[in-house]
Amino acid sequence: MIRRKGLDICLLGFLILSAGCVPISKTTLSPGSPDDLPGCYAIFPGEPWESVHRIEATLRGGGSSSLLGVTKGEPSERRLQSLLLTPEGFILFDAERRESGIAVRKAVAPFDSSAFARGLMEDVSLLFLPPRVKPTTWGKEMDGAMICNWESPDDSHTEITGSMESGWRILRRNKQGEVIKEVVLNGPFVNGLASRMELRAFKPASYRLRMTLVQPSP
Amino acid sequence: MKKFLFLSALVTTGLLSASAALSQDWTSLKEASRNIRSVKAEFLQKRYLQILTKPLLSEGRLFFYAPDSLKWEYFSPLRSVMLQKGTTIQIYNFSEGVWKPEMTQAIESRRMVLAEISQWFQGRFDESKAFKHDYSPGPPARVTMVPGEGINRFIQRIEIVLSARPGVIDRVEIEEPGGSRTSIEFRNVEINSSFSSEVFEKP
Repeated sequence: MIRRKGLDICLLGFLILSAGCVPISKTTLSPGSPDDLPGCYAIFPGEPWESVHRIEATLRGGGSSSLLGVTKGEPSERRLQSLLLTPEGFILFDAERRESGIAVRKAVAPFDSSAFARGLMEDVSLLFLPPRVKPTTWGKEMDGAMICNWESPDDSHTEITGSMESGWRILRRNKQGEVIKEVVLNGPFVNGLASRMELRAFKPASYRLRMTLVQPSP
Repeated sequence: MKKFLFLSALVTTGLLSASAALSQDWTSLKEASRNIRSVKAEFLQKRYLQILTKPLLSEGRLFFYAPDSLKWEYFSPLRSVMLQKGTTIQIYNFSEGVWKPEMTQAIESRRMVLAEISQWFQGRFDESKAFKHDYSPGPPARVTMVPGEGINRFIQRIEIVLSARPGVIDRVEIEEPGGSRTSIEFRNVEINSSFSSEVFEKP
């Protein structure tokens, strides 16, 4: 019970905004032009990359925590390694996501639960990896903004809308169509990485992560 | 516990190093440290991680006033400050335009370690249960701190490289098992300068 409570708090444990509901009208598109398809992947780095982000996590009740996030990606292998560090540089969490699963190299309490590791790596994947499958529908609006929809085998949905000029939004919906996570990305993009990102999770836990790119490297 | 140990390594090496002098042997170095009333310095921290091609750079400053007041502050990439005055420890992060208390469980651990640090700073190195020291006259003069059983799972060794200017160091190297390490370069070090005690009370 205690472990479960710690887990909930921690999921880095980041904020709990109760609301969880972002009304979105579901856009129905036909498969778009092949020429437009690369636009659905514009926000995801295509080459090996690494980054350092300043992370501000807002917790239930207004509490907050500030950490450093270090991430390295190998897009072709869909591999991500992610570290959380204190301002002093101490590693609180170190895990790698591969096709075969998540390998936790280091985890210090209260970041040492498997649920935290799974939740964190899901968030990192949402931010930096496109869905594995090809979009089911996509298109470009008159103003150049992309609209891309993915349907996963588990009936969850991912929607990406936006442009480099106006910024981007990623919505992750569960099989009931409810938005469970929302990500807003703003430029400028540096080495394929957004300068600012905000992730709001609504279900099952609610929290908000504000991430600022402080050190990109190719 | 681990976090606290790492932090203590950063802080203690900074303070200890400020009391060392190039031409002194270990006994006189301890003696000199007893004359330290205050330390003020800026630092550049380089965190070398195997995941990163380039080190993670952090900048900050520290204030110390004997026997047990300390401010260890980072300006970038995260604004964060740890304040110790007597037995009171406070940690703040600057977020959304204001200083917010850190939601950490490590306050008590930090208090315990900082108490030990203060002992070192005052030349009572032989009272440390965590590290054994070794002094090398150089040049450059070095103090090597080797942790005991348990701590050595997180810190392999700490090396303090002293500058030619008495009481000032060039840098501190903290080595961890697995190849990661941290380098802290101190600059504009002031020994026994005066500053307001308020620096230990609020961010």
